[in-house]
Amino acid sequence: MSTLVTVLRLPRGPDPNGRGFDPNSTRFVALCPTTISASTETWTDSVEVGEEQRARSALRESFLRTLIAMTNKQVQFHMYERVEVEAKFGASDIDVLNFQVSELQTPIGVQKEALLRAKHRKMLLMTVYDADDPPIELPTDD
Amino acid sequence: MAMRQTPLTCSGHTRPVVDLAFSGITPYGYFLISACKDGKPMLRQGDTGDWIGTFLGHKGAVWGATLNNEATKAATAAADFTAKVWDAVTGDEVLTLAHKHIVKSVNFTQDSSCLLTGGNDKIIRIYDLNKPEAEPQEITGHTSAIKKALWCNNDTQILSAADDKTVRLWDRNSTEVVKQLSFDMSVSSMEYIPDGEVLVITYGKTIAFYNALSLDMIKTVDAPASIHSASLHPDKDFFVAGGDDFKLYKFDYGTKEELESYKGHFGPVHCVRFSPDGELYASGSEDGTLRLWQTAVGKTYGLWKCVLPEELVSENSDTIYCTTAAPEIKA
Repeated sequence: MSTLVTVLRLPRGPDPNGRGFDPNSTRFVALCPTTISASTETWTDSVEVGEEQRARSALRESFLRTLIAMTNKQVQFHMYERVEVEAKFGASDIDVLNFQVSELQTPIGVQKEALLRAKHRKMLLMTVYDADDPPIELPTDD
Repeated sequence: MAMRQTPLTCSGHTRPVVDLAFSGITPYGYFLISACKDGKPMLRQGDTGDWIGTFLGHKGAVWGATLNNEATKAATAAADFTAKVWDAVTGDEVLTLAHKHIVKSVNFTQDSSCLLTGGNDKIIRIYDLNKPEAEPQEITGHTSAIKKALWCNNDTQILSAADDKTVRLWDRNSTEVVKQLSFDMSVSSMEYIPDGEVLVITYGKTIAFYNALSLDMIKTVDAPASIHSASLHPDKDFFVAGGDDFKLYKFDYGTKEELESYKGHFGPVHCVRFSPDGELYASGSEDGTLRLWQTAVGKTYGLWKCVLPEELVSENSDTIYCTTAAPEIKA
């Protein structure tokens, strides 16, 4: 008697809504020459790519420094339904999907530790202030 | 216990699949491109068949498709009288090369710097992809539509098969014919194996193997049905073939013995190719599907899982998918 070979799953089929080539795939991220359009005559324009990479690096560094500067500072989150909550900022995850905060002041009490989902904010305007420094507003891209 | 082949069906195309090609082995695995009469060639992960993307742009049936070794570029040949070059990472169209008739075949050189095209205008063209606006080098001689044109001998020569029932070997620089094979009927497919310089040609029910440099015949094997495509395993121990009777056949290359045959497709098999690691082979059919078949049936690879007999009755066993295929295994 013979047995059919087992398979873990079936091959994934096409996405009906798009043409694929996921820009978040490992290969795309590693090989894609950033936003230089494929209509350029040469395969890569190394000068433009270099400049764009430098600008991106600077922006990434600036963003990371902002996050570091906010650590342990009091911040205010503006959320849906005109909810505003204060908390002590802890950290962001790598994809900026969640924020780890402490002493979250909510309308129903203080949450010692909490994770705020970045998607659940209509607009994030984090007001960072500290007893010794004047308040600075740090708009985030949303 | 004997294991029965479970082919993996890759759906998505809406018309017959007429050509397919694998890339080389890259740091991200290997990839598979399929040409389809629906005009939308697709890129898939080679070992799982998972769809990665669809190259959108052709306005007619796509007759030929290929990838470069690194799977960073793709090229397609279509009935809209164009060959197109694509970025195989982003899916973007990079180049459109206008022809005067249906284009049937496309092939990159090893370094991806040049593209060979051939089609119904009977002319082989060589495009320098670093100078795409320049006129291509043209090679004339065939008296009927070209089915396939391939680089060979370290990209110094070109092999072409046409409906004039000839296979010709050309020198790239002189554009002259070096050697020619004539047949009683049209060649249905051609595969070139650089390692060992082997040429696999199919015509009628015959699968023929030639030395690609001298065009000396090595051997021929006859199948039970008319064959549309065949592929030799990288280790040159097996070859597979498919054609009119919808089945896939597996033969021993050394003894020429038919080892196995598998049903599964619901239409004639138009193309079949071994993966670069030889662990599986892919077939494309009139039924609009691609199927992936294991070379060593039952081995854990890709989406196939080797399950020991005691695991089959375990409550914790993974979901088992079975196709409705009814494979015939020759003892």
